Amino acid sequence: MAIHKSKDVKAYIPTASMADIAFLLIIFFMVTTVFQVDKTPVNLPGSWMRPTEIPRKAAFVVLAELTSGAGGKELVYKFSDGVDTSHVVPDTDALYFEVINITGLNPLHPFVIKIDKDVKYSKVDEILDAMRRAGAQDLILMTEQKTVPG
Amino acid sequence: MKLVSKKSEVEIPTASMADIAFLLIIFFMVTTVFSATKGLDFKLPKDEDEQLDTETVEAAYIKVHPGGAVEVDRQPMALDQILPYLQPKLERWPDKPIILYTLPEASYGDMIAVYDTLKQGPQQIGMEVTNIGIPTHREIAQYTEIFGYNPFD
Repeated sequence: MAIHKSKDVKAYIPTASMADIAFLLIIFFMVTTVFQVDKTPVNLPGSWMRPTEIPRKAAFVVLAELTSGAGGKELVYKFSDGVDTSHVVPDTDALYFEVINITGLNPLHPFVIKIDKDVKYSKVDEILDAMRRAGAQDLILMTEQKTVPG
Repeated sequence: MKLVSKKSEVEIPTASMADIAFLLIIFFMVTTVFSATKGLDFKLPKDEDEQLDTETVEAAYIKVHPGGAVEVDRQPMALDQILPYLQPKLERWPDKPIILYTLPEASYGDMIAVYDTLKQGPQQIGMEVTNIGIPTHREIAQYTEIFGYNPFD
């Protein structure tokens, strides 16, 4: 009896599920993407505590010590409503009006306080006072988590 | 002569779909930030005048000096001694008010170091420090007007 010659199986890469995987990844990244509203370089204070995660749409209040053109340092106030990127505000009075625009709609709106650790406390006190007057209640003091070396 | 018209099949062109999909994947991969920003919870009281009724006599009082030196109830104290000092007081009165007064010349980092220490209560002494008050300069001025002197200094 003659033995049939075995048929050659063509080698190919199965790509039928590629579109499914691609769209799954797109949906994952679309859902998890958070656009940073503030990228000001700030030397944050350290904390040993397991920090609270910052909720989406949290507004940002920033006080940073930035190097000025003359080589000195200047204090810069910035604010973001959590949607648009942060912009410079001249002082705590302007900050007060920015905050009250948000707390007027929702007093429990979260605010992230992002302040340089070397800033004098009197400046921080002015910010906290302005925020309190504007009716802000839920603050998150942004810190950098300390870890045990090794 | 009879002409036979060829019918072309209807189809949606999907040749470029994979390119578009991978372009979107790369865009989202590059722009994604996984909640890198974190911090410590801090509640501000409502802006009401009745806050002045706080019993300052019963509160534990922490004063932060420039450079990070700390006094608790007017005794100099290291950061790691604060919670053991407060533990017996908190056992008697879990809601004991802790007033954290930072001198204007001290840095924000000095204040956060003490606040962070107080927040470590559950891990260090098994008790949460719930009632931390941080007086602002406006409140200090109000108290000074009432008492005739700055009770925090």
